[in-house]
Amino acid sequence: MDSVTLTIDGRPVTVAKGKTVLQAAIESGISVPYYCYHPGISIDGSCRVCVVKIEKMPKLQTSCSTLCADGMVVSTRDRDVVEARAGVFEFLLINHPLDCPVCDKGGECPLQDFSYTFGPAESRMDFPRRVFDGEGVKADVDFGPTLMLNRNRCILCTRCVRFMKEIDGDAQIGIVDRGYGSEIATFQEQGVHSLISGNLMDVCPVGAILTKDYRFKSRPWDNPGVVDTICTLCSKGCNTSAWLKAKPEWARGSRLIRMTPRYNPDVNGYWMCDIGRFNYHWIEGENRLRRPMMRGSAGSAAQAAPLEASAWHDVQPRLRDRLQEAGSGGAFHFLASAHASMEELFVLKQLAEALLGGDAMKSVSIGWEATEKPQPATTKFKVPVTDAPNVNGARDLGFAVGRGNEGPADLSGLRKAVEAGTVKALYVIDPAGPKGSLGDISWIAAARRSGALSLLVVQAVVTSELTEAADFVLPGSAWVEKDAIYTNDQGRVQAASRAIAPPGEALEDWQILVNVGRSLGVALPYESSGDVRRALAAAMTGYSEAERLAFMRPVPASTWMQASNPSERWKWDFLFQDLPPTKGHNVQMEGLPAQATPFIPLKPVQ
Amino acid sequence: MAYEPVLTKFVNEPNSYTLDFYLKHQRGYEGLRKALTLQPNDLIEQVKASGLRGRGGAGFPTGMKWQFVLKDTPKPKYICCNADESEPGTFKDHVLMERNPHLLIEGCAISCYAIGAKVAYIYIRGEFFHVQEILEAEIDKAYKAGYLGKNILGSGFDCDVYVHRGAGAYEAGEETALIESLEGKRAQPRIKPPFPAVAGLYQCPTAVNNVETLCNVPLIVMNGAEWFSSIGPEKNGGPKLFCISGHVKRPGVYEASMHTTLRELIYEQAGGMIDERPLKAVIPGGSSVPILLPEQLDTPASFDHIQKAGSLLGSAGLIVMNDSVCMVWLAMNLLHFYRHESCGKCTPCREGSDWLFKLLRRVEAGEGQPKDLDLLFGVSNNIVGKTLCAFGDAAATPVLTTMKLFRHEYEAHVREGRCTLPASWRAEHPIFAAH
Ligand SMILES: Cc1cc2nc3c(=O)[nH]c(=O)nc-3n(C[C@H](O)[C@H](O)[C@H](O)COP(=O)(O)O)c2cc1C
Ligand code: SF4
Ligand code: SF4
Ligand code: SF4
Ligand code: FES
Repeated sequence: MDSVTLTIDGRPVTVAKGKTVLQAAIESGISVPYYCYHPGISIDGSCRVCVVKIEKMPKLQTSCSTLCADGMVVSTRDRDVVEARAGVFEFLLINHPLDCPVCDKGGECPLQDFSYTFGPAESRMDFPRRVFDGEGVKADVDFGPTLMLNRNRCILCTRCVRFMKEIDGDAQIGIVDRGYGSEIATFQEQGVHSLISGNLMDVCPVGAILTKDYRFKSRPWDNPGVVDTICTLCSKGCNTSAWLKAKPEWARGSRLIRMTPRYNPDVNGYWMCDIGRFNYHWIEGENRLRRPMMRGSAGSAAQAAPLEASAWHDVQPRLRDRLQEAGSGGAFHFLASAHASMEELFVLKQLAEALLGGDAMKSVSIGWEATEKPQPATTKFKVPVTDAPNVNGARDLGFAVGRGNEGPADLSGLRKAVEAGTVKALYVIDPAGPKGSLGDISWIAAARRSGALSLLVVQAVVTSELTEAADFVLPGSAWVEKDAIYTNDQGRVQAASRAIAPPGEALEDWQILVNVGRSLGVALPYESSGDVRRALAAAMTGYSEAERLAFMRPVPASTWMQASNPSERWKWDFLFQDLPPTKGHNVQMEGLPAQATPFIPLKPVQ
Repeated sequence: MAYEPVLTKFVNEPNSYTLDFYLKHQRGYEGLRKALTLQPNDLIEQVKASGLRGRGGAGFPTGMKWQFVLKDTPKPKYICCNADESEPGTFKDHVLMERNPHLLIEGCAISCYAIGAKVAYIYIRGEFFHVQEILEAEIDKAYKAGYLGKNILGSGFDCDVYVHRGAGAYEAGEETALIESLEGKRAQPRIKPPFPAVAGLYQCPTAVNNVETLCNVPLIVMNGAEWFSSIGPEKNGGPKLFCISGHVKRPGVYEASMHTTLRELIYEQAGGMIDERPLKAVIPGGSSVPILLPEQLDTPASFDHIQKAGSLLGSAGLIVMNDSVCMVWLAMNLLHFYRHESCGKCTPCREGSDWLFKLLRRVEAGEGQPKDLDLLFGVSNNIVGKTLCAFGDAAATPVLTTMKLFRHEYEAHVREGRCTLPASWRAEHPIFAAH
């Protein structure tokens, strides 16, 4: 790759050809403020805060729109630059409400941060501020199903306009009127209707666009932990960060407070979809399974007896007995969701092989759903149809997945066998949210109620029609509650990190399978998910890197707060280099040093 | 030597705008006929040799601009004629289009041929309905007579000319904003580079030229580069239109060579000052340029001379003011225009023009404080040179130039709490829109 060398503030800087002076400054840790520039969208050159002085150029230049050239001599600290920049900051604030104390962006706001660094100490403005829809948070107006807009805070950087036009593909946001009367608007105030609307909150450098989900919920200093992980709600596998709120045990509300995208050029760029961003409330919701459950006493009356919460050490032996009764061969079947991780499917495969021998792979079905997502044809961020993260992983393990990520799973064969009574016992593993991830499975519940199935074991995370029909309910973990790897639709193996602990007595799903196996006398020599990954890496081609994937632990938000806007986490890597580095957090498989997977203490199982 | 007008000689004839009149009295389309026998490159060389400088404001050499238009590209090329004419004090293009439209049409066709374009768009100011009607009717006639369309005059050269009317925005006259507006977007400027000559209309090589600039092209082709450059001072050749407004007896459009001094323009052409009152100030190039004082009236009205005198010829709109005009009021009046017309794309202009206007309104009303004067100066300087397009500098200029030359008037407003000019001399206030 061609490179160019220039001098910024007396420092020689070498960057790839085609980079702008602003990018060069950011890459070399030199602070230059910017608002209209965002690395994921086109250059606008309108906010004017990124001005620098370049030798041989008569006027100050906006660094975001100036390409680096060999021998260029740039100053970001020249008196002219400092004064011009401060002037622009003064302009940006003369009409800004400065309601930071009630603004949800407060504490992670580039306008706050950069103004403190580069702006004048005080404003000379003594006219009333421009007001659009009211004052304070009363000026928040509905901006579509997911967002709120506060026009008073808007600095007209047009990032949102460009995001909708260039990334979403449907230019729903525009500016109406001009000059000092310019305001952000949508057609007839309809607001933004998009599957990727949540990105607008990240893109907006101020508190003008907020998600309804996060508004009034927390402040960055209330979020002491942030965990880099991935989203597992579809086959894309967007790299994300899970934000945790500080909260005493007894207090209401959840710890998981929001999801934000994390830059990965090969997977999701700077973005994520609204499904992945907003669909996390169930994880700490009312319907979570917290304790194992089973029906009264053993024997013929089992189906009539109510499901009762029990302890693992009571459930375990009973489950063993019933599984042994169910026997082997075609009569016993596993149905696993493609939401199950590589570790879980790997252990399941070994368990099935030990129990069912040669019929094992025929006796495990993999299920998932697929839904067409309505998006503009020109969108740059396509949300895939497959609503599960690991269909490719299941295929790599040798399970039959049909057309794979191209459409939904075909469970019609299994359904026939269950309804015909050929399959007598079914063990379902589904660690996905409220509606499950297997599509319409009312036929399973019906088969158990009718007696066509004589045993139904459900390992899941939330109550459902299925768990209600089950003989045994085993509480597993959502993806943010366990360290696990998934293979996305590109075949990329990615790590999802444990951000919070599973609730109550729920266990990580690999552990449940290991425990079930051991009770049946199957030797599954794993004490941690790391053990499983090591075995998996050794056994499977193409997965040798799997055991070296890095799992993240909560990073203190003090470091995060320096990052200002979550979508600009990359900035923090470069700009705030005097802070403790956590380099490598956004690189999943790029030669990271081997890192021991920390052991997750589990409750003893008797 | 009396100057013989060539651009506007017949504008007072009732039928001057018709094709027949143009053919009969102005050697109509002879220039095009001749141009089509030349190589495009030779044409560009001829325009370069003539020294023709853009009449839109910047005075950039037209031949050079054409030469920059990218040649080696499969993309189509375009001529965009800038007929947005919205600079306060400027009303010359209007006359050319209304009274001599075929000169512009011919100029468009020749310019297209020179740069290898097949289409010219005339981007006309939003308020010019009737001018658009005239232009379109005359373009129709030119098509029917074979001066536009396919295989023009049997040469094999095709050329279409379209008129596009804007929605009425001063900023649409900035060349890249004009291109955006033509493409159907908001009239907001683009970052330069790339310049229109490389990536203009629909990202294709484009030359944006003012109406008057293009009207000079047929004359150069017909009469030769030497003829053109012999009119006026060196590097400031050719006929020039001056728009004279303000406190003169005969405001209007006057054609002259750029040898002509401001004094001659004001006192001879425009008939001198109304009621023989003393001249206090003149803005020589439309509202965006610095003021010249009475002692500078002997400056020839050429690009270079006016620049040397500390101002700019700009769009050659001379705004002449007598001693009744309060300079604080003048600045306020102009800032009212600029803050209304700022496109709002970039921060210093969007925020600064509004702030300046509010400050000026306060000072003009006699409610200002000494710190407001420092602020006016400081805010203006925070705009100048920091904006995306030249509008920002233009908006700050009225403040900076009046503060530089008439600071005592500002100070008097602050000190006395009112304008100190005798009340009967006060010009009427503009009516401001609600804010
Ligand atoms: C704010 C602004 C407004 C302008 N308005 C006009 C206009 O109305 N007409 C015009 O010809 N040029 C206008 N210009 C100048 C054009 O940008 C451009 O320089 C000109 O059209 C080039 O033509 P020329 O080379 O023939 O002069 C304006 C420039 C600015 C910055
Ligand atoms: S709403 Fe936010 S992103 Fe959109 S223009 Fe305003 S400040 Fe920029
Ligand atoms: S696109 Fe898929 S992986 Fe990405 S956030 Fe949405 S659901 Fe999650
Ligand atoms: S200087 Fe003014 S007119 Fe020009 S781009 Fe900026 S806001 Fe628009
Ligand atoms: S970041 Fe460069 S002008 Fe906005």
